[in-house]
Amino acid sequence: MSSGRWFMTFCPACERSNMFDREQAIVQWRQQMLAAGISSPVPLEELEAHLREDIEQQVRAGTEASRAFEMGVRHIGEAVELKEEFQKTGNATRMFLRKLRGSLLGAGEIPLPALDDFEPAARRTLELAPEEARHFNHAFVGTEHILLGLMRSESKSLSNVMRRLGVGSAAVRLEIEQIVTAGTGAVGSTTIPFTPRARRALRLAAQEAKSLSERQVSAEQVFLGLLREGGGVAAMVLKKLGVRAESVRAEILKETKARRGAG
Amino acid sequence: MVRKELVAASAEPLILALLDRGESYGYAIIQEIKARSGGKLQWTDGMLYPVLHRMEHRGLIKARWGESETGRKRKYYSLKQDGKRAMEQHHEQWSLVHDVLSGLRKEQYV
Repeated sequence: MSSGRWFMTFCPACERSNMFDREQAIVQWRQQMLAAGISSPVPLEELEAHLREDIEQQVRAGTEASRAFEMGVRHIGEAVELKEEFQKTGNATRMFLRKLRGSLLGAGEIPLPALDDFEPAARRTLELAPEEARHFNHAFVGTEHILLGLMRSESKSLSNVMRRLGVGSAAVRLEIEQIVTAGTGAVGSTTIPFTPRARRALRLAAQEAKSLSERQVSAEQVFLGLLREGGGVAAMVLKKLGVRAESVRAEILKETKARRGAG
Repeated sequence: MVRKELVAASAEPLILALLDRGESYGYAIIQEIKARSGGKLQWTDGMLYPVLHRMEHRGLIKARWGESETGRKRKYYSLKQDGKRAMEQHHEQWSLVHDVLSGLRKEQYV
């Protein structure tokens, strides 16, 4: 999928409605890059830093933000071509070592909490998330896939929290599907890595559990972690649906009390 | 506008020479080259990064993550010892080409 095709459909629309959202546009651009196989964190973080710098300079020079974004994306170039160039970087040995390290450590620098640290529904979510990624032909598990996994995890306590917040799982799925574009090629049978944002979100979830001296991370804490991470697709969707971290935390406390009272 | 092949071939010596003046980052490198060539040396911005990564992999330059004045993440590159040597080699070779070319041209007009 080329970066050209989507901003043709995306940018004119937001210019017309006069509601250009720079952050959302950058998130979508990241999605395109990831879907084309530009990996995260390196080199995608660096390309994103470049794009932001370019937009900032253009805006400072008086260019309208949406136009600056469009030009910035053009300056960076097509994801497919970049991918080919980046592939020339590593030689075979390096690729092999990276794969080996990846399978030993789990690819990124941010370690994932152990699977045992999650309650059954949350654990089920982490198994469903890669399934969701495959469904979109994405070679990465992002915050959006975890959120979709949560919606399918059938966690009783999470659905209680969501009901009281007035958020429906159908609405969440719909919002995600509106933002995320499917990749073109099917993803192979290898393990799909979690993106740095997804890892960060899961660590934040673990932090929430720890602050309540809970032994395991619940599904609703994963939900809160996604929201607190702040920059991923999941956080963007939840914020758009009016979900706020403080209210989620308050609802989780109620849920915990009810559970402890019952147990 | 300078031809694509020449732009590609000159990327490494230009980056090395630029980093020899001090550490820098992708966006600034592109701007500097653009300004110094009067906009005639045009890189597709994104294409600079694979070149930088290859040079890093070959041990010519090293990278570190830092921050911009506004607190945004930024990856800075600087020259390593091997990069300095590579720069000298490039310089010799490009000077040679330049000398031969200008020598031939001079003879034409003598």
